[in-house]
Amino acid sequence: MIKHPLYIKAACAISPQHSFGDTPILDPVVQSENNRLIALDVDYRAFINPVAIRRMSRLLKMSISAAIKCLQNAGVSMPDAIITGTGRGSAGDMQHFLKDMILMKEEALNPTFFIQSTYNAPNGWIALQSKSTGYNQTFVHRGISLELALLDAQLLLAEAGDHQNILIGCYDETTADYFVVKEKLNYWKKETIPSEHLYRNNETLGSIAGEGAAFFAVSGEKEGAVCSIASLEVIHQPAPTMIRNKVQEVLAANGLTTDDIDVVICGRSGDVRFEAWYGVLEDFATQTIAGFKHLCGEYETSSGFALWLAHQIFAQGTVPECTVLQKGDRKEIRHMLIINHFILDTVSVMLLKSLR
Amino acid sequence: MQALLQKKSGLHFPVHLQSVHAQEFLLGEVNFTNEELAMLVGLQENTKGLTRTTLLSLVALQELTGKIDRALLRNEPLAFINSSTVGGMCSVEDHYLDFIEPGKRGDFIQYINSSDCGDSTERAAHYFGLKPLMATISTACSSSANAIIMGARLIRQGVVKRAICGGTDALCRFTLNGFNSLKNVDKEPCRPFDQTRFGLNLGEGAGYLLLEKEADAIARGAEILAYLDGYTNSNDAYHPTAPSPDGAGAFRTMEQALKHAKLQPEAISYINAHGTATINNDAAEGLAIQQLFSPKVPYFSSTKAFTGHTLAAAGAIEAIFSIISLQQQAIFANLNFTTPMEELSITPVTDTIEDVSVQHVMSNSFGFGGNNVSLIFSK
Repeated sequence: MIKHPLYIKAACAISPQHSFGDTPILDPVVQSENNRLIALDVDYRAFINPVAIRRMSRLLKMSISAAIKCLQNAGVSMPDAIITGTGRGSAGDMQHFLKDMILMKEEALNPTFFIQSTYNAPNGWIALQSKSTGYNQTFVHRGISLELALLDAQLLLAEAGDHQNILIGCYDETTADYFVVKEKLNYWKKETIPSEHLYRNNETLGSIAGEGAAFFAVSGEKEGAVCSIASLEVIHQPAPTMIRNKVQEVLAANGLTTDDIDVVICGRSGDVRFEAWYGVLEDFATQTIAGFKHLCGEYETSSGFALWLAHQIFAQGTVPECTVLQKGDRKEIRHMLIINHFILDTVSVMLLKSLR
Repeated sequence: MQALLQKKSGLHFPVHLQSVHAQEFLLGEVNFTNEELAMLVGLQENTKGLTRTTLLSLVALQELTGKIDRALLRNEPLAFINSSTVGGMCSVEDHYLDFIEPGKRGDFIQYINSSDCGDSTERAAHYFGLKPLMATISTACSSSANAIIMGARLIRQGVVKRAICGGTDALCRFTLNGFNSLKNVDKEPCRPFDQTRFGLNLGEGAGYLLLEKEADAIARGAEILAYLDGYTNSNDAYHPTAPSPDGAGAFRTMEQALKHAKLQPEAISYINAHGTATINNDAAEGLAIQQLFSPKVPYFSSTKAFTGHTLAAAGAIEAIFSIISLQQQAIFANLNFTTPMEELSITPVTDTIEDVSVQHVMSNSFGFGGNNVSLIFSK
């Protein structure tokens, strides 16, 4: 959409896997239960004021903790801007207030759930904790919510200068209610599968449900960054050829060919409806192809987990064994693609470059 | 527009919203049923999954796109930046117990995806062929003001040539009960910037603006309604729902918007204030206006007593009011004002002022989460 590199200084994820750094990353791999992957709680008290934490929803705790730790890792105390994306925001609080309202016939309701149900509630809290009075924005557009936040950050760097430190994040939770609701639209597989076998179970409708929060400290300056997002594109109502063309377009715009790509991270979800969208992977026969939805599950901002994984791979120089769908022959990892989709008709393509 | 100039409020007890509190609260309810809204855009069939939120959006967009050459939208890159605070909650709340009953199926399934804020955006973009870029913003009561900023920035950076920006929210029990649980909904008509104010009246609506560069507007022979001269998005970083009581956040936002527009405070002819008539907002915003603009405080008023607080749509609707103020060279009254606030030495405009010189109008939108926006429109 716009070519302005985003340099990633730090990446933090709270996810169904060990991703927050207190144990070895992605080890051991956590399996789904009844087609759901649930984010692992971390010690939220290390990041949030103890008085405030008592009334906070899990989603708020997850997003604030990931955000604050990300700022700490980047050595940024007060970001110049906070931009987030979420498919459903504090879905749990919204459902809580909604159910109470229906069952209690609109009387004697607890306002806390209403307040926290606003989509930008995590932003407000993060701004409050980091005393950041700058630009603050929340995108709520299904499967491209994080992508729009990244686009906004690109605009901001182009306008306000590359020295700006921007905190970008995403958050979504899968509640028990949400699981039941979206089951009616075939979001999840009818048959219970172990998440490690997600990609073999690709002849039926649905995937496994997931959730998580991921935050990134970015700026327009290279110093201290592990990698950059060089290009970002979104496709609405895609067809396989559109995705292939878009990938070629992104590569060409950056003076690259498919051969220059060393790793492709793909959002295959085991859902038969979307396997054809990943036909583009055939163009990367000698590269490593990594999957991630068996680790984080399917949700609107799963691109955040993929981006966190990409950052890990660049930082470590290796692709975690548990993500490898196809083993490539590359010694070095210089360029990576993330190709992801969400059920409601969007695909995003990101090109990342190593700075190592 | 006539209602604004003639001081006619649109608040009344709701006819369409089904709530046990329906006869307690005055609301800015749009005087059409969902079926009538659908008819307005020529949709008799194919209304599956269309919520009131989406219908309001479609009606407003039809009015806007009816005034421009549709081929223009088809052939040149456009961004549709929409916003909402609760998406299709107006339908979701009617069916939620069916939604969550395992295995239950039925007609209600058409509304499941409307729980996303992006639902109305996708449907409207599809209906009017708005492409290639669409986005949905949700920053509470400043949502559509932020949509306007986003559109302007995308145009400035050359990502798109034009942008249609705004927001939509339909009245629903969820929001009414939410604000009522916070005890800041007034049963009387709201009284912005008044000592006796108690809270807000809710409203519903949708509003959109078409933004493009001056040169592009001139090139297609379009009538330029106003210039968006400056804007700021900033955060209070003070409290999850309440503004800083001294108005520091609002002050900073307005000050930066002036700086962005390269204008001195005295250049502002009129401020269309956020003015929700809640205890906290009006104190903070009033103090900020007083501090920033003293000694020459411009005319200011809140038009919320005309429309109710239309939440995500408010920023765009009030941006449109600001533009009407520029076009008509008129200032709108702050209805229901009788008693000055103790903490303020300034008072809002209480009567329509016509034949006045209006050069620059500031429009404020402040939301939960400390999300503040000021926009400046000029002739």
